[in-house]
Amino acid sequence: MKITIQSKAGETAFDCGENEIILHSGLGSGLTLPYECASGTCGTCRARVKLGTVEVQWREAPGYLHLKPDKGDILMCQSRPRSDCFLQVLSQVKIFEKFRPQVRHGTIENLRRLTKDLAHFMVRLSSPMSFEAGQFVLVETDGLSGGRAYSMVNFASETDRIDLLLKRKPNGGFSEWLFAQERVGANLRIFGPLGRAAFRPEEDRDIVCIGGGSGIAGMMSILERAAQVDYFLRHRGEMFFGFRTLDDCVYLSQLARYSALAHGNLDITIVLSDEPAKTRVHVQYPMLKLASGLVHDVAVRCSGLVQDSCLTFVAGPPIMVDCAIRALIVAGVNAGSIRYDKFS
Amino acid sequence: MAWTRICRADEVPENSVRKFNVSGIQILVVNYGQGFRAVPPVCPHMEEPLEESGIVARCVLTCSKHLWSWNLETLELQGETERPLKTYQLKQEAGVLLANIEQELVYEFETEIGDQSDDDFFK
Repeated sequence: MKITIQSKAGETAFDCGENEIILHSGLGSGLTLPYECASGTCGTCRARVKLGTVEVQWREAPGYLHLKPDKGDILMCQSRPRSDCFLQVLSQVKIFEKFRPQVRHGTIENLRRLTKDLAHFMVRLSSPMSFEAGQFVLVETDGLSGGRAYSMVNFASETDRIDLLLKRKPNGGFSEWLFAQERVGANLRIFGPLGRAAFRPEEDRDIVCIGGGSGIAGMMSILERAAQVDYFLRHRGEMFFGFRTLDDCVYLSQLARYSALAHGNLDITIVLSDEPAKTRVHVQYPMLKLASGLVHDVAVRCSGLVQDSCLTFVAGPPIMVDCAIRALIVAGVNAGSIRYDKFS
Repeated sequence: MAWTRICRADEVPENSVRKFNVSGIQILVVNYGQGFRAVPPVCPHMEEPLEESGIVARCVLTCSKHLWSWNLETLELQGETERPLKTYQLKQEAGVLLANIEQELVYEFETEIGDQSDDDFFK
């Protein structure tokens, strides 16, 4: 099927199979279609169908709250074409070349439960993938329709291995499926890489990361990328990771390692929301600071970098991300210097 | 309706927004320290209620949902922002803010995107 996109930048077209999701197919063709979550929640990928018909996969997707379906509005991440279509999109749609997302198959290897509700798992890909630190993939499995978004924890170029962090959610289809029984060897469908909250060393700026819960995932990738290029030899970094209690923390030994490699230019603070920090630093990993409170409050209060010239990454539950963005802007960070990822 | 009273200037603290119902029209008043703006109460991006998502700091209004932002003095679009903010003409007399309301200002996806002959969106 031919999909024509009319945007502020003019008209452009791509071919989309009838079983393909319009957003995925367009991104795979290299178009900068608007999106954030790519999985039905945020509503950013809305378009208006002027000609043609589409089939909507998840009609109750929260992103539909923002739309006017009677006027032909759709979420491109939930739509498959049933004919050639002419769509209007309210943004500049151009062509990009780097790391076009595509579908790969993956096999689960090495699933490790880290805490009562977080598990780390490694997926072996059918073909190598390159991605930017901070990006995510959509993961699907047979019998559970719709992709779930997970940020890569590792960083490598042209790699056939990605590491993901999964949070167990009650009634969360995929997480319940993965936690339910031994899933090593299970097959997955992986679409990616996706996401614009990416860290690029060539931007040459001090960085601040604020992550809540499983929001730490993409920031581990940022730290790995930074370590590989010895980024903290010439830049400063501050990381604030929020967890409920000390028992809920993950990746502490890796964080301690990144801190040790950073020439004293990387401060990592673990912020506990549901229990007081009994010591100023972690007993086992003294290079990690401890604090209590809400992670974004602590970040804005304690950071020496939160200002206009730093680049700030925020990831976590939507409410935490919204609060962090508000606090950062009030503290003087310009909106263009904030990159965020909301996990819902 | 022409010049209509919205509120007292001191009802909207510096660096904040507040929504008022002016004869059935919802108007958001923005106090950016150096002045005030009167705008429709939603973000032109995804119609998020700016009363909740709007942040005012350093002369800039930012919608926290997707970080669209505008300089409140010049109305210049900041960063990735793709649509201008519509504003009502505003004046202050004896501590009272008055807006010149000809008709309600709305952001219409349909008119902006649907009819290209009369369309500032695609320009």
